[in-house]
Amino acid sequence: MALKLCGSPISTRTRTVAATCKELNVPYEFVNVDLAGGEHKTAEFTAAHPFSQIPYIDEDGFKLFESRAISRYLAKKYAGDNTKLIPTGPKEEALFEQGVSIESSNFYPSAIGYASEKVFKPYNVQYDSQTRAADCLATLNVKLDAYDVLLGKQKYIGGNEYTLADIFRLAYGALALIQGGQVALFESRPSVARWWKDISNRKAWLEVIEKGV
Amino acid sequence: MVLKVYGNPASPCTRTVTMVCKELNLPYEVVVIDFTKGEHKLPEYIKKQPFGQIPYIDDDGFVLYESRAIARYLASKYANADTAILYPSDFQGRALVEQAASIEAFNFYPSVYGAVSERIFKPAFRGQPTDETRLQEHLSALNPKLDAYDKILDTQKYLTGDNFTLADLFHIAYSALLEQAGLGSLFESRPNVARWWKDIAARESWLAVKDAA
Repeated sequence: MALKLCGSPISTRTRTVAATCKELNVPYEFVNVDLAGGEHKTAEFTAAHPFSQIPYIDEDGFKLFESRAISRYLAKKYAGDNTKLIPTGPKEEALFEQGVSIESSNFYPSAIGYASEKVFKPYNVQYDSQTRAADCLATLNVKLDAYDVLLGKQKYIGGNEYTLADIFRLAYGALALIQGGQVALFESRPSVARWWKDISNRKAWLEVIEKGV
Repeated sequence: MVLKVYGNPASPCTRTVTMVCKELNLPYEVVVIDFTKGEHKLPEYIKKQPFGQIPYIDDDGFVLYESRAIARYLASKYANADTAILYPSDFQGRALVEQAASIEAFNFYPSVYGAVSERIFKPAFRGQPTDETRLQEHLSALNPKLDAYDKILDTQKYLTGDNFTLADLFHIAYSALLEQAGLGSLFESRPNVARWWKDIAARESWLAVKDAA
C-alpha cells in the first residue's frame, strides 16, 4: 500500500490523521509504533523524526510528521469533488486558516492542559492538579464563549463547510472534555453544542472510535 | 485600499504580520490598538475579533485574524515569482512548510510563550511576579525541542531545506522576546540553532519591524 500511517491506536494525533484518511477515502496501512518499548526514542526513529513523536506517514518514501501537516498534505493531494477538507478560493482558504489557527492558540493549550491534569497526571499524589485544572477550565470557558459566537454565525470552525479545522479539534475535545467529565462545557453553549453534535457523529470519526485506526 | 493591520507596534504577533508584508513588498497601514487600555476587549473590537486578541487585518473589507492565518493568506495572495518560495504551492514543498510550522505552533511556541510570559508579560503588563517553578517547567519542555531543532539544522540551512519560508519566519518575533527575557543562551549554546537564528534575525524585513512594526 502506498500510504503508511505509523503511530499508536490510542494516540489522539494518530486518530486525527486516520479520521482525515477516512474522510478522503484514502486507503492506508497502519503501522504500530511501540511506545511502551521506547521505539520512538531509538536512533533509527529520531533520524526520521527528530521530535520523537507520533504519528508520521511514509508515502512511497516521502516522510512527513506533525499530524496537522500530514492532514493538510493529504487533504490537498486527495481532494475530490465532494471531499474538500481545505476549501479552495483565497478568502475561503484564509477563513479556514483562521479557524485552524484559533485552535492552536485558543483551544489546544487549555484543553491539553486540562487533559494533562485530569487524565494523565492524577496518579502523581504530590502534584497539585486541582489548581492547574481549574485554571485551564477557566480559560476554556472564556474561549468557548467566543467559539459560541463564531459558531452562531457559521456552521463550522473554518466556514460553512466541514474542514480540517473541525477535525483538528475532535480528538482533543473528546479526550480533554469527555474523559475529564466536562461535556457540559460544550453542551451548555447552544452553537457549540450544535457543532459538536454534528462533528462527533460524522461517519469517518465514528469509524475511528469504534473500529480503531 | 491599502491593507490595514489592526494591532500594536509592540506586539510580536503584529510584527509577524508586518514582517510578512515587508517580505512581500506589500504596503500596509498599522491602526494602533492600545492593549494597555483594554481597547482589544471593547465590544466594537470583539465584533471583528471574538477572542479579543491582536492583530487582525482588513484587506479591502475582508477581515481576518490569527497571525499565522494572515501570513498564509498574504503569502498566497500577494506572492510573485521571487517570493512564492515563502509558501510553496507544490504538494511536498507545502507539506514541509506545514510540518515545520506545526512544530513551531505546538513544540516551540507554547513553552516559549510561557517562558516569555513569566519573565516579561506578567511583571510588565499584569503586575504579577515571575513564577520560577512554572518558568523552569517551560524551559524543561523547551530544551529537548531545541535539541531536535539543532539536529534538523545540522544538515540544512533552514527548517524546510535550503530556503527561508514562513515556517522560519513564524519563529522570529517570539525568539527575539526570548533574548529580551535573558534566555538567549538557549539558542547560543546550540551551534546550528545559533547560526540559523543569527541568519533569520538579520533579514531586512525583520530589522524593519522589530522595534516598531
